[in-house]
Amino acid sequence: MDCLYEACPIPLLKTMQSLKVLNQGDVLIVETDHSCAIKNIAEWVGKQKLPCEIIEVSNGEWEIYIRKER
Amino acid sequence: MKSKIIIGPWSYLTGAILLAVLNTLLFAALHTPWQITTGITYWAAWIFKFLGGAPENWHYFANNASKSEGLSQSFLSNSLSLMNFGVIFGALLAVLIASQFKVKKIKSPKQIFAALLGGIIMGYGTRIALGCNIGAFFSAIPSLSVSGWVWGISAFIGAWVGSKLLIKYLL
Amino acid sequence: MKKVKTKKDQRAYFWFFSFLALILIFLFGITSPYLGYYWLFGILFGFVLQKSRFCFAAAFRDPIIAGSTSLFRAVLVAMAIMTVFFTLIQYNAVQGGALTIPGRISPVGVHTIAGGFIFGIGMVIAGGCATGTLMRIGEGFFMQVIVLIGFLIGTLWGAWDYPWWERVFISNSPTLHLAQYFGWTGAVIFQLVLIAVLYYIAKKYDDQNNILL
Repeated sequence: MDCLYEACPIPLLKTMQSLKVLNQGDVLIVETDHSCAIKNIAEWVGKQKLPCEIIEVSNGEWEIYIRKER
Repeated sequence: MKSKIIIGPWSYLTGAILLAVLNTLLFAALHTPWQITTGITYWAAWIFKFLGGAPENWHYFANNASKSEGLSQSFLSNSLSLMNFGVIFGALLAVLIASQFKVKKIKSPKQIFAALLGGIIMGYGTRIALGCNIGAFFSAIPSLSVSGWVWGISAFIGAWVGSKLLIKYLL
Repeated sequence: MKKVKTKKDQRAYFWFFSFLALILIFLFGITSPYLGYYWLFGILFGFVLQKSRFCFAAAFRDPIIAGSTSLFRAVLVAMAIMTVFFTLIQYNAVQGGALTIPGRISPVGVHTIAGGFIFGIGMVIAGGCATGTLMRIGEGFFMQVIVLIGFLIGTLWGAWDYPWWERVFISNSPTLHLAQYFGWTGAVIFQLVLIAVLYYIAKKYDDQNNILL
């Protein structure tokens, strides 16, 4: 999912939306360049008890991997 | 450990404690706590003056000694203006040390509209409420001012309405 | 597949700009020692805000959209710390013979509610409050430059309309300071208890609410 150039809280809201329609076991990749997004998405995903990993792919650009386990 | 400090992100709690300490030091050293938007108002007034306006005759500036003095200064000689530049500069340093600087473009016209509209109503709000989230809230509540609490509750209700609008129109 | 991007090391720029900032401290300091301080404090504020991703807009917004109050609670902790020190500074000033209590104490009334309310809407749709906007310009966000332009227009408009607000509301509004009611110690205790209660409610709310859009 591409969230580049989107401002806070849009990436988080889009993550919520996409996770809902995904099937169990799917992996959602969120691309973002918003520094706050990596923090609030990670926090929210942690609260859902889903595993997530953040990789900085370039200067100020991140990819967040979230696996929908349940 | 070292990379965690340099690259971050720090926890919100760390940030909160450091901001509290800084604001206290600022208050103790310079007798006035942190504020942002009066400096931004000067920026606006100076630009308006440059474009041919005469804000110095406005009631807002003319009837207030400290504001008319502030208006007579410039971007680099006014303390509040300078502190705002400092905030921008400090944030720039913080991203550079982590090598995370990137120019972020605008994605859609909708964003421009939201940004402009949000900015205008925020700006207007700061003038009539006598401050922004810093001057009327973050520095006001610790000053034991009742206005800080009232502002906080109002802003919370505003944020609730704003969130509904955001989900409806911007998502 | 996604093309591999390279990450450039930007620390050289960091050292360059830090050096520049240092020179500017001295330059402003020569003009007036206060200016140097203000510049330094601004930089420190900006640095801390960015590093901890501290965003006041999110503190107000995240409880509503994500059921998360961690940032809101961090703000409360900062408030509690500052309450103690600010009161000490104010108390000392008053004991030292200051005629007005220093700090940010404003009249409270309809204008506070109206201003706070529209500011609340604005910061959510613009994706950042006043500090957030400045900090994100430093981070390289173009959108926040637009927000700042809006902000400039808004403050100017507000300053133009200010006489009306002042006449109708502000001049009739009382300036309330908590120490008037509870005494200095009482005011601090009252405020700390209030903050503690809010913290407890926020924590409970966070634990119970798992908002899925």
